[in-house]
Amino acid sequence: MGLLSIIRKIKKKEKEMRILMVGLDNSGKTTIVLKINGEDTSVISPTLGFNIKTITYQKYTLNIWDVGGQKTIRSYWRNYFEQTDGLVWVVDSSDLRRLDDCRMELDNLLKEERLSGASLLILANKQDIKGALTPEEIAKVLNLEAMDKTRHWKIVGCSAYTGEGLLEGFDWLVQDIASRIYVLD
Amino acid sequence: MPILTSLGHSRSHQKIQPGLSQAKRESVTECATHSRRTMEDEEESLSSSSNPNHLHSDSKTLDPALQKKHASMLERLANRHQTRLDNSLTRRSADSDSSSSPLESTSSFLSHFADSKRSIEEQLARCRLTPTSDSAEVKTRLDCISSSISDLEKLVAEKSYFLPSYEVRSSLKTISDLKQSLEILNAELIPRKKFSFRNKAAKKEQVIEPKKDTVKEKEVEIRKPEKTAFAIPESPGFRHKTGEVLLSQFKGSEIGEFTISDLDSCEVRLLGCVRALFIHRLRKCRIYVGPVMGSILIDGVEECVFVMASHQIRIHNAKASDFYLRVRSRPIIEDSSSVRFAPYCLSYEGIERDLKEASLDEETGNWANVDDFRWLRAVQSPNWSVLPEAERVRIVKISNSDCRAEEC
Repeated sequence: MGLLSIIRKIKKKEKEMRILMVGLDNSGKTTIVLKINGEDTSVISPTLGFNIKTITYQKYTLNIWDVGGQKTIRSYWRNYFEQTDGLVWVVDSSDLRRLDDCRMELDNLLKEERLSGASLLILANKQDIKGALTPEEIAKVLNLEAMDKTRHWKIVGCSAYTGEGLLEGFDWLVQDIASRIYVLD
Repeated sequence: MPILTSLGHSRSHQKIQPGLSQAKRESVTECATHSRRTMEDEEESLSSSSNPNHLHSDSKTLDPALQKKHASMLERLANRHQTRLDNSLTRRSADSDSSSSPLESTSSFLSHFADSKRSIEEQLARCRLTPTSDSAEVKTRLDCISSSISDLEKLVAEKSYFLPSYEVRSSLKTISDLKQSLEILNAELIPRKKFSFRNKAAKKEQVIEPKKDTVKEKEVEIRKPEKTAFAIPESPGFRHKTGEVLLSQFKGSEIGEFTISDLDSCEVRLLGCVRALFIHRLRKCRIYVGPVMGSILIDGVEECVFVMASHQIRIHNAKASDFYLRVRSRPIIEDSSSVRFAPYCLSYEGIERDLKEASLDEETGNWANVDDFRWLRAVQSPNWSVLPEAERVRIVKISNSDCRAEEC
């Protein structure tokens, strides 16, 4: 292997970002990932375990870890925390009953030391459904203003069904991670 | 300065190979010394060119006039050398000034960084020394400090391409120290801030109220999430009923979410398309629903019968219930027992059109592909089974005129 190919490999690796998608079950994590990747979203079973998608986004390679959100498997989330650059917390904005659960799970997640450096994108999903809460209301319910000062976070309303808002959210996330891990140029 | 531009080009490589940048930097300084050396050479050659004269004058040491002349020439030369050095120095600094950013050198970056660091530390100290009771003002001050720290962090990120790796590391360390002291200060000035949203005492008072008028403790629980942050508007749905027949017909205008919760011994019929359906805490109910275009979430049901079609179905905490499903993906159960599955069997006028609209007109057979999240093994889960054909309801027919449901 020549030096150039080694350098190329390292360089390629340098532009990789590891993104962890979590949230309660039925929030639409898998649908979001498939929609971003331009895949068919009409048949998606609840995630038993996890999916990994590698997506080239702008000039970066995103490794998106989409981990199932069912109660039984939430305790396994912590196995995926290591080396996470970006955290995507997906909220079902139409599921009013479980917003409290949602806040509690998010609070627990943010206490995690291994995630303390990760940028946090909150996707208020299912905005296309009539009666869904707006991102502002979700931010209030989740009490995002009270978050740690050092955390980089943003909340974006989106719809995995129509694709609206997804790019805005991921643009922010990728830019924020890029400026943090020194690949800014 | 061609070297600087080549440095600029290799920005992207810098991070990968810090050693490389070191080498480049050395070559820059080397080049500078080299140019100085050529200058000195020139000077030497000049003085050497004057040497014959010098020797010549030495040989005639006795002539004071010549000696004087020689001394003045040496002085002139020294002066010239000095001015040339000065000139080249000023020229070089002028060059670096004219390049894109005044910060494009390690030393100027470091001094700038040190200044910012000092000012942030001063701000922190000022915040600590002059406590104000006004929490809003404290908050704005802390926010201001936090933003200047992140500005500094950004600066390091921007300049990291030309900084030696040691400087990057030490700057980052400084920034994380600053952040930490901000956190400490934050905790000191605004104590218990993190916990303020869990204002348990206030919440309990609010929760007690409904307890007085309602008999069931269950209802208190369900209101809890709605009372915490602010009043969440209620979605359309059927709630808190006993022994009733509840009916809804959605036509044309598509309904968003729909909630069915806290029912006992009721029959529910939903005709037409719904986007999302939430079912919570039912006992001895019969639920017949038309196509759901999104997902159905069921939690806490006992001795119920469901006839439903949807893209996704999740069933939690269900006991002794039968599900007649048509579902595009695999239905799942969690914390459930004695649940049985069978194919969809609802019929009303226009259901074919509704099913087609929701892309549910095709029988996928997925009603029998149930995933049990509490039974992650290859063998069949003991928690669910296929409903024997002999025990199945063949068809549930809802006539549109009087909306009566018939099972046959």
